[in-house]
Amino acid sequence: MPADYDKGAYPEPPRQTPAVDKQTALPNPALILSKLFYYSVDLPVTTFRDAVDSIRANNKSVYYHQKFRRVPDLTDCEQGDYICYYEAEMQWRRDYKVDQEIVKVIQERMRACQQREGASYHQNCGKEIQQFNEVTKNFQSRYGDLGGYASGRKCLMKQKERMMAAAQAPSA
Amino acid sequence: MVGMSVLRSAAAFAARLSPLKSGNNAANLLSRTIPRTDKVAVRWGHGKKLFVIKPSDYYDRRFLRLLQYYVLLTGVPVAVFVTCVNVFVGEAELVETPEDYEPEHWEYYKHPITRWIARNIYDSPVKDYEKMMAAIQIEKEKADTRLTQLEVRRHMRQKGDGPWFQRPTLDKGLIDYSPKSTPDN
Repeated sequence: MPADYDKGAYPEPPRQTPAVDKQTALPNPALILSKLFYYSVDLPVTTFRDAVDSIRANNKSVYYHQKFRRVPDLTDCEQGDYICYYEAEMQWRRDYKVDQEIVKVIQERMRACQQREGASYHQNCGKEIQQFNEVTKNFQSRYGDLGGYASGRKCLMKQKERMMAAAQAPSA
Repeated sequence: MVGMSVLRSAAAFAARLSPLKSGNNAANLLSRTIPRTDKVAVRWGHGKKLFVIKPSDYYDRRFLRLLQYYVLLTGVPVAVFVTCVNVFVGEAELVETPEDYEPEHWEYYKHPITRWIARNIYDSPVKDYEKMMAAIQIEKEKADTRLTQLEVRRHMRQKGDGPWFQRPTLDKGLIDYSPKSTPDN
């Protein structure tokens, strides 16, 4: 994980290292193997990484996260104003990508929780599972079944159908 | 007489044997023994050398050799170049955009080669957006012009007072009214 991840969403599990309780004089094979792994794999990889970082230290560059301004939506456009349609469509596509990434992040949190808890994830990951179910249900109702040629207009029509179904359901 | 037939049959037998085979010279014709093949010393060393007859694989191996050569001819320099870029220049790090600073459009990418391409080869995304909107504007104006043209055509055909839908006729000043100009003619 990168160094600046959200510590609240991915809590570290409690350490399960048992207290050292040697009852024999024989050497511990797990200790020997871990030291072997450290000297044969971990140390060379870390020194290589440090060497490459020191080479790169003098020309570091940075990149930024692009923020887009909000433009009028498809519902705020005049009839026949194709420029407005285009800007609304581009904004809808950016929002679609952002929503896909949101679903992926929530899914990643649920997977991390399951990995942490092990066999008892049904009981301990209730919040993450409920969050994931809610987010995926909302995503499905908004963007599901739009297909590969999805556009802002089709999404708007889907919303209209949803609102019509919701309006008819309590009256029927 | 009997010795003659024995000699003749022996001569016929000796003539049938081929002189090229190694056991058939005159020295050991009568005293050679039959070779016993079950008591020969057999050693499985490197095995018997066989001449396996198969179709030529020269063309296949030549193709693969040439393929390997031409792929590696540009593949190896490109791989070396990308490795050097990754080791000596390195990827960018994500930082918060500082206040009142507008980053250039290539400063939104991570890998140095992508940044270089975005800076030198591609147009900025803002320019692409504006180009698309300009194309849409031109097409919109064309469509509006066509619609107004159809509207104007409809009006002119109906009312008939515009420059279109006029038929050329002779000048009305050339009409000779003289036959009907006086009532007594």
